[in-house]
Amino acid sequence: MGSEPFRLPEAAVGFLLILPAILLLLSLTLYPVLYGVWISFFNKHSFFPQQTFIWLDNYIFLLRDPEFWASVWRGTVYALSTIMLQIVLGVAAALLLNELFPGRNILRGIVIFPYVVPTVVAVIVWKWLLNSRFGLINYLIEKAGLVDQPISFMGKDWIMVSLIIVSVWQFFPFVVIGVLARLQTIPEELYDAAKVDGGNAWQRFVYVTLPQLKSVLFVIVLLRSIWMFTKFDTPWLMIQGGGAETYIRTLPIYTYMRTFAYYEAGLGSAMAVVMFLALAGAAVLYFRIWRREENL
Amino acid sequence: MSHSGLLSPRGQVLMFAALALLVFTAFPFAWMASTALKPSREIFVTPPTLWPTHVTLDNLGRLFAETRFLTYFRNSLIVSFTTVGLTLLVSVPAAYGLTRFRFHGREMIAGLILFTYMFAPIMIIIPFYVAMRFLGLTNTHLGLILAYTAFCLPFSLWLLRTFFQSIPLEIEEAARIDGSRLQAVIHVVLPLALPGVVATGTFTFILAWNDYIFARVLLSADEMKTLPVGIADLYNASVVDWGMIMAAGVLVIAPVAAVFVFIQRFLVVGWGSGGMKG
Repeated sequence: MGSEPFRLPEAAVGFLLILPAILLLLSLTLYPVLYGVWISFFNKHSFFPQQTFIWLDNYIFLLRDPEFWASVWRGTVYALSTIMLQIVLGVAAALLLNELFPGRNILRGIVIFPYVVPTVVAVIVWKWLLNSRFGLINYLIEKAGLVDQPISFMGKDWIMVSLIIVSVWQFFPFVVIGVLARLQTIPEELYDAAKVDGGNAWQRFVYVTLPQLKSVLFVIVLLRSIWMFTKFDTPWLMIQGGGAETYIRTLPIYTYMRTFAYYEAGLGSAMAVVMFLALAGAAVLYFRIWRREENL
Repeated sequence: MSHSGLLSPRGQVLMFAALALLVFTAFPFAWMASTALKPSREIFVTPPTLWPTHVTLDNLGRLFAETRFLTYFRNSLIVSFTTVGLTLLVSVPAAYGLTRFRFHGREMIAGLILFTYMFAPIMIIIPFYVAMRFLGLTNTHLGLILAYTAFCLPFSLWLLRTFFQSIPLEIEEAARIDGSRLQAVIHVVLPLALPGVVATGTFTFILAWNDYIFARVLLSADEMKTLPVGIADLYNASVVDWGMIMAAGVLVIAPVAAVFVFIQRFLVVGWGSGGMKG
């Protein structure tokens, strides 16, 4: 291009380039969040525009609502057990996939796959495997003589266990990706030194590998906690078509039901705000404990 | 790391563990595919057959003829690809702007990513729904596309920024001697950043393709539904037709499997940038 009659200053060009992104983020992320906090102070129907300002009544209602506390408890059981199992299984799988064996690279790909398929697929596949009448798992455990009668995996006694199995299967690959990436950067010399000192495999894991994994595990625990405490689609889809719904009604499920089944958008928003405050508080505490540990 | 021979005790343990891991992760998919290919009566026989004795496409035929599966599929394609297009259209210039111009953008995006982490869909969906209803965008694909774009923007900015940063400034400056800045960007910078752009687009695609909650809340008309919602409703409708549902499952994961091969080498960078959520 020849001589330009008018040129924008450098900074203006840069600003114009990022402007659309900023506008979208402000209007579609920040605004809804603030608006959510705002409507948590209202008695607001989910569909109709009328609303009345009721101060903190939604929050006070929650404090006195036994179902709210029950859902917090169920959500905590679900989150803590799945996080623990994901990490144990994820670290074990990553250690295995860090070794050399035929077919390792293919297996590395396959292991990640449950994490990238839609939740609805993960849930229906497992519902079929765990089906009480025609499910393969019931057939196998009956054949093996472990049970006399088929287990009703979607019944009230087992639905939480089934949900945990599906969730761990679906989300442990996240741990594998992070841990495996970190394992590959641990210098081989560290292990050689440990071998010279006569450490066995378990000792090498505890004294060499684990300290190296500390920082990646810190991130994993943080992210997995945020996502498992707010997990909606896996428990929600597990509930569908069964009568044991109340036994896995975690806080996100209860929030959704209050908003979209009872149409109480104000109360639902209050629960979302509580969820956020609890998570943010836990995250701050977690960071602080971590920092103190580091200083020791 | 010593290469373990197949027959050494250590090699045997490794192979056994690898086999167990393979069965745990892959078998549910194999069982889904096998069920999808069985005729109805074979699905319920005892003992179950591992592989169909009579392979049939009946389930697929019923899925196409008796349900709106193809409509859902088309909707999912439209929504996912438009989301990818819009996200890249907005974030590629922004990421370039953030790397090549002086800004305090780094901290801002990092903060936003943490923000979207904290605000899992369930927390943002209520105000989002109320706002979309006010704008008359419920039950439209546009509303859904906007939701996904907002959700994908922070990580896509972050991811693209790292890719642009890896392109040496000297290459761009050399190109600018011969032409305008725009030409330098189009002919030199973008081609170099292409793998990163495609990787970012793929992560965005998977997030949009897989989402359940936004589509569940924002869409109500059956002909508007995307696959995850459509399939969940097929499952809930009266007696479950397992063969048909499994056939639907196979078709839903097919596009993910296709793009997965491509992003495998970007998994770690996607992991670190928030490209994978949930």
